[in-house]
Amino acid sequence: MIIKSIKMALKAITSSKMRSFLTMLGVIIGVTALVVLVSLVTSATKAVTDEVASMGKDMLSVSIADNKGKPLKIEDLKEIAKDRSIDLISPKLTSVAEHKMRNGIKSSDVTRIGTNGSHFIIEGYTLASGRLLKHADLDNNSYVSVLSNDIAISLFGSTDIIGRDVVLDGVKYQVVGVLNTPKGLMAETNRNNIYIPFTVAQRLQTDASTGNGIREFLLTAKGADNVSRAEQVVKEALKARFGDDPEAFHVYNQNEMAKSIDEIYKVFALLLGGIAAISLLVGGIGIMNIMLVSVTERTKEIGIRKALGAKSSSILVQFIVEALVLCLIGCAMGIAVSAGILAIVNGVSSGAAAASAAKMTFSMSGTVILVAVLFSTVIGLVFGLYPARKAAKMHPIDALRFE
Amino acid sequence: MIVFKDISKIYNIGDETVYALDHVDLTIKEGEFVGIIGPSGSGKSTLMHIMGCLDIATEGEYDLDGQSIDVYTDNELAAIRNKKIGFIFQSFNLLNKLTIEENVELPLIYQGVHAAKRRTRVAEALAQVGMSHRRKHTPNSISGGQQQRAAIARAIVTRPALILADEPTGNLDSKTGEEIMALFQELNIAGHTIVLITHDASVAAQAKRILMLKDGKIAEVRDDN
Repeated sequence: MIIKSIKMALKAITSSKMRSFLTMLGVIIGVTALVVLVSLVTSATKAVTDEVASMGKDMLSVSIADNKGKPLKIEDLKEIAKDRSIDLISPKLTSVAEHKMRNGIKSSDVTRIGTNGSHFIIEGYTLASGRLLKHADLDNNSYVSVLSNDIAISLFGSTDIIGRDVVLDGVKYQVVGVLNTPKGLMAETNRNNIYIPFTVAQRLQTDASTGNGIREFLLTAKGADNVSRAEQVVKEALKARFGDDPEAFHVYNQNEMAKSIDEIYKVFALLLGGIAAISLLVGGIGIMNIMLVSVTERTKEIGIRKALGAKSSSILVQFIVEALVLCLIGCAMGIAVSAGILAIVNGVSSGAAAASAAKMTFSMSGTVILVAVLFSTVIGLVFGLYPARKAAKMHPIDALRFE
Repeated sequence: MIVFKDISKIYNIGDETVYALDHVDLTIKEGEFVGIIGPSGSGKSTLMHIMGCLDIATEGEYDLDGQSIDVYTDNELAAIRNKKIGFIFQSFNLLNKLTIEENVELPLIYQGVHAAKRRTRVAEALAQVGMSHRRKHTPNSISGGQQQRAAIARAIVTRPALILADEPTGNLDSKTGEEIMALFQELNIAGHTIVLITHDASVAAQAKRILMLKDGKIAEVRDDN
């Protein structure tokens, strides 16, 4: 009976192809939006979290929100670094500086990071030419700088600039090194940096409330096994200094960062999925509309079928199956269109990847397909029910008389 | 098999009460070929709808095969229509989207007959009305006479005891009409009870028993039995 109903539904759907297609269009667009958006977000999430997780599993990042009037000094970091679990430690002071070209007309904002030589090793940056920052640069407050590859190109048009000066906020820094372009997605944000000795950066800071203390630093543990010990050591050291205030400082490890990024993207996926689901809902209303028209048009048919012995339930099933089949065909088409769109996006992104070194593959997630199919089924049932009930409740004589 | 006891069908149109059927008593025995004749508006269609279990009388009792149909639910009435009654309409009422074969198959589907059995029964019914060669056609692509033959095949495919025909020749030319009437004679000889409703005296004349319906009241005109 169900197979026969499906055959009848297919017959009704194919007998007016244009109308059926237009009816399905709402569902097709809804499913496509749902599948494509959620697939894009989940693929992006996976790429970013993989990257974060792979980016030094042994790395910790510390930020200090409130130094309680006891600012952290380089010496304090050195003290922390004495523990056997800790490998490298590097303070970080980020600010924005204005760079003026020699002619004094063209200027641009750059990110100025005060740090030490360990920073580059922790971040995994490599030198293209020159040298990294040295301890002596910090000890002597030397006005030297290491440039990201991109900024070297954009400011000087070349990476062969060792010994030249870069002027930030009117202060000259001799260029001692240029980095290679970093690989990976997260590195995108670190392509326009100029690195100077931490001590020099600290001097530039006029903000009294910070008391010239270290507000951010990175460290690496000696191997992944030592991460939890290193985290413990840092937390205890900071707790001893700043007291038992959970808001005073935060220690992040990469897993936590990956997790929090994942959370953010999940919210995105839900939000976008929700919007797409609304369009699917609208598609469902379109189906109901056409089913109502169809029921009226086929009043005579319903009368004939009832005269021939069709029970109300048979008519009900027939029209619900028809709505369901419409929805599911639309859903299948939507999934096919989504696959096409994702293939195109992959083509474009791999073309772009050759240039940017960042590579992301977008794949359809099984979960979202399942959700799309289930949602389409529910919509077919819900929006098919009312027209089907209307058809089933028709009185055979009234239906037969209808011309 | 058909017993109408004091059947009335009353419609209230505004303040007016209209008796479409006015206290009709009627008995039709198995194997009869009854013609019911009457002008339009005489209640013919109402009579057929009640007899065919498509509608319920306002007053009185209708016994079909010794059982009052008052006791049945809508779904049970659908099953009775399916098993016991074959309908033939003036405008054929075939479903245009389906082939002749599929049209004839419909009542069997609603009866829950298996596919293999459906095929043989459909083939038999089509052969009986001489329509086997048109089974793959759609109703729109064959003549009116052929459509009516197909409709008759659909009516007899469930082997119902009673065939109810409402102006079966009304949309056909007289020659085709005669052929269809000949088919009814054959079906009657084969054992089907036939009730034929018409306004055409010459068509009704081919029945063995003729009833006259006028203003909702019925009268015996002729009985050859």
